Amino acid sequence: MILTLALAVPLLGALALAGYPRWSAAQARRIAMGAAGASLAALIVAWLGFDPRGPQFQYVVELPWVPSLGVAYRLGVDGIALAVATMSALLFSAAAIYPVDTRGEPRSYYAWLLFMQGVSLGVFLTLDLLLFYVFFDLSLVGMFFLIGRWGHGQPQLSALKFFLYTFAGSLLLLLAIIGLYLSLEPRSFDMRQLIEQQPLAGGGLYAGLVFLALMLGLAIKTPLVPLHTWLPQAHVDAPGPVSAILAGVLLKMGVYGMIRLPLAMMAETFARYAPWIGALALLSILYGALVALGQQDLKRRIAYTSINHMGYSVLGIAAAAAWVGEPAARQLALAGASLQMVVHGLITGSLFLISGSLWQRTGDYQLAHYGGLAYQAPLLTGFTVLAAFASLGMPGLAGFVAEIQVFAGTLAVYPWLAVLAIVGILITAALYLDMLRRLFFGHLPASLASFSDLGRAEWLVLGVLSLGIVAIGVYPSFVLELLEAASAALVGGR
Amino acid sequence: MLWSLGGLPIGAAALLYLSGARLGRGALTSAAALTMLATLGLAALALAGDWGETSYRWSEALMLTLAPSRAAAVFTLAVPLIALPIIVYAGCHELPPGKAGRDGTRLMTLIIAFVGTMQWLVLADDLLTLLIAWELIGACSWALIGHRWGEAGVTRKALTAFVTTRFGDLGLYLAAMAVFAGSGGFGYADLATLDGPLLNVAVAGIVLAAAAKSAQLPFSAWLFAAMAGPVPVSALLHAATLLAAGTFLLARLQPTLDGVAWFAPLVVAIGLATALAGAVTAMHQGHAKKLLAASTSSQYGLMWLAIGAGFPAVALVHFVAHAFMKAGLFLSAGLAAKESGGYALADMRLGRRLPGVAATTLILSLALAGMIPLGSAWSKEQIASAAGQQALWLALAVALVGGLGALYATRFQRLAYGRADRRTRDRLPSSTSPTRGELAALHSLAIGTLLLSVLWWPPARQVVAGWLATQWPPSHTWLLLVSLALVLAGIAAGWWMTRPGHRVEPATAGQAVIAEWFGLSALLERVAVAVAALARHLARFDDAGVDAGLHASARVAEGLARLNAQRGEAFADGLPGGLGRLTDWGGAWARRAQSGQTHHYYSTIVIGVVLILSLLVIGGLL
Repeated sequence: MILTLALAVPLLGALALAGYPRWSAAQARRIAMGAAGASLAALIVAWLGFDPRGPQFQYVVELPWVPSLGVAYRLGVDGIALAVATMSALLFSAAAIYPVDTRGEPRSYYAWLLFMQGVSLGVFLTLDLLLFYVFFDLSLVGMFFLIGRWGHGQPQLSALKFFLYTFAGSLLLLLAIIGLYLSLEPRSFDMRQLIEQQPLAGGGLYAGLVFLALMLGLAIKTPLVPLHTWLPQAHVDAPGPVSAILAGVLLKMGVYGMIRLPLAMMAETFARYAPWIGALALLSILYGALVALGQQDLKRRIAYTSINHMGYSVLGIAAAAAWVGEPAARQLALAGASLQMVVHGLITGSLFLISGSLWQRTGDYQLAHYGGLAYQAPLLTGFTVLAAFASLGMPGLAGFVAEIQVFAGTLAVYPWLAVLAIVGILITAALYLDMLRRLFFGHLPASLASFSDLGRAEWLVLGVLSLGIVAIGVYPSFVLELLEAASAALVGGR
Repeated sequence: MLWSLGGLPIGAAALLYLSGARLGRGALTSAAALTMLATLGLAALALAGDWGETSYRWSEALMLTLAPSRAAAVFTLAVPLIALPIIVYAGCHELPPGKAGRDGTRLMTLIIAFVGTMQWLVLADDLLTLLIAWELIGACSWALIGHRWGEAGVTRKALTAFVTTRFGDLGLYLAAMAVFAGSGGFGYADLATLDGPLLNVAVAGIVLAAAAKSAQLPFSAWLFAAMAGPVPVSALLHAATLLAAGTFLLARLQPTLDGVAWFAPLVVAIGLATALAGAVTAMHQGHAKKLLAASTSSQYGLMWLAIGAGFPAVALVHFVAHAFMKAGLFLSAGLAAKESGGYALADMRLGRRLPGVAATTLILSLALAGMIPLGSAWSKEQIASAAGQQALWLALAVALVGGLGALYATRFQRLAYGRADRRTRDRLPSSTSPTRGELAALHSLAIGTLLLSVLWWPPARQVVAGWLATQWPPSHTWLLLVSLALVLAGIAAGWWMTRPGHRVEPATAGQAVIAEWFGLSALLERVAVAVAALARHLARFDDAGVDAGLHASARVAEGLARLNAQRGEAFADGLPGGLGRLTDWGGAWARRAQSGQTHHYYSTIVIGVVLILSLLVIGGLL
């Protein structure tokens, strides 16, 4: 019931905003904040009531919808889904509060934002494969309009590229979902049955093709190199809060999908291909970091670090899926991979919100045009330094906790992949410190003499996100408790 | 309980950071100094009260543990003890009069937090806790080296220092991962249970991490980048914290690490090479702080040698002796720079202008030279004796490093505080005498150096051996005499090299390369440039190559669509049209057949009958 609430409130809010034309910009924003916040509150309540030692899926709701096809309204969460969904709701609340230029159309902007929140949470909360696909696709629609209508640069082009590329991924996903559906007797889209029965465990060409389609579809969304080129352009042209959602929430759908679908439902097939997936993840880690270092545009640089960070997540998942290795190590890798999703949402969400603040003030992303901002904007500097250090994996902040688990778990499974993967944190250190240096230190150009520091709404939002980053870095057990239970169920479940 | 040793200064730093900008310089300095005193007291209390192991659980698999050890005891006392005068000095030397301001507060609080993190680092009982503290002191050092972030190039140097040491940190990541893979835990005890390739990987990782932090070869060059930081920061990093961390780690884990056959020879080789290279670099440097930095690297090289030779306790004693003198020397260099307007040794010779400072610094320089009867001379002799346990030539090499040390120490002392001839003296602006705080800090470090002379007294060194639960290597009179002779020779050579009129800066291109770590600085720069170029190329490839594949498929799709729009549509449209025309034509033809003329019908019937008959014939024949 509480999950339905979390899902329905933003969707109803979106409907109300779209349908009632008389609200002012401030009212529309307040409604968006209220709906997003209520959804977040519902998920926090669910978190507090979640029993890590209880059954794998909790808060399960099941209402028949198309019984002849085995489609039903099924909701339920395990620890990983709950943690990622709560982080997403937090990020949506942050995006709703964060000031942005709505181009005179505040109602539709906030309506689309709430719509995005509803369908994104749907992806994480549902236990029905068909609903998963529907929500997965609807999120593309929402993002298409948010980038296309409120973006800058070449928003139409970026939005179209984003949509077509990721939609191609969705189609592969649909094929795979149908393949999974047809393999089950009696036919059903119920994820729990698929997980329990492992219908394609025998292997063979059919299982291989379904797995390939699933992984391709999800890898485009994650994205893994070389399927990533839609990402930087979409990020650069999207407004700051939308970028935060894109990186913080949409990318997670790909990684979360890998855990929920292939890892859980096709464990045997995944195990066979796990080394290849791990190698692709390694490529994403190193290539993403190096290309990020080569960017001269602030937002493109942050965007490419997302590819690097999602690489860590996928590496952990591949290690968890492997045949070899102790269960304890694989479980650690999976807990790290799922924590990385939560952590990346908070950190990269912060960084994109910050880049949105810079755009609002200067309309420029070129690093070369900045410098010395620490004189003008100490608060902005402080939050950016914190987020950058978290992103480069500094202990005491959230990123480290996730990455060390992925590394330690992976080394026990695929030593060479892990050894090469740690080079990624060296490159990210260089690229973030270089970014900080170019933005905030050195000489202040005359054009930035009137640069203003963060406003109240901005620093409040960044403060809350930073608090989350520090809290997970210092006291991670409150999240890890959830993630470990879910990981144990997934890894031990063979 | 042990957590409070680091928690107290870190908590105090957080509080001071929030309130510090409003405090005056004096208040902030006093608060910081009091925090250090409290940290020192707490460390003493922990030692006296025998505080035991304590843990903090992150998750099922991740557990952070602190536990006391002998090496940790030395460090938990020495670090705040050295940091105390440095903080007092920083308050007087770096902070503006009146309100401390944002920059001053940041400097003070970072130093305090650095000390707190260092306390956790030395108390760590597992690789995870160690790694956390290890990376945090790296971050602190980045912020401290980049303290003057407004100046061009400063933060780039901070970046160089951070990234170089983080390259070493990867080794620690690797070690922690290997220990987990082999044992399912991260503890030092788990490390001891490893064997086979995983143990080799773990030891290699630890040595790599320690070498980068302790500025051993081939990582030494980051030290010069780190010189962009203010003087108190250099003193803190070199004497007691960042560089010491690597050596501490090897000393702490030496019994376990020695389980790998190549550990001792490798550490001895790295230590000796660094000791020699650092000494020669210091001989050629014309920058006061860089000379001291190179000497630090050399001195830590000696400590590595002791550890490799199997005497970590000797390394610990030399660390303490070195900490006092090197902190003092850096503070003194800061005073000299304030007086002469820069760190160029060629422009100093301040003996007449700062006679008191010159005299105090002389004590510290003699300690750096390894002159009897100062404490550092004794610990250096112990290192030589320890090396002698391995091989005679190794002991002689240590004595040679000592001689070179005497040379660069003399060079520093005479160039910085020698007496200039009267003609040049008057060119400088009028003197601003050092403040009382600065002098007090310098004097206390010199007094500490003097007090350590007690190590030459046999009962005292027995007490120290008891504390550290160790035995000193047997010493030889002849070795002592050789060392002393080399020290005296070094002093004489240093005196000769600094004769008036002799060039201070490197004279030839070759010497200039030597003065920059035999080209290591340039190599580091070149690696950074190469990586940046690779990144730019990859970024271009990503736009032009990977994304081009996407564009190509979009173009193919567009082309197909256009083809379809023209040919396909024409075909699809033409097909029903053509069929229609065909039907039309057939209809017209059929209508023409209905001509109403009988001969037409007959001829048609005949053609039909012939056709049928011929078909029948063909069928019959077949």
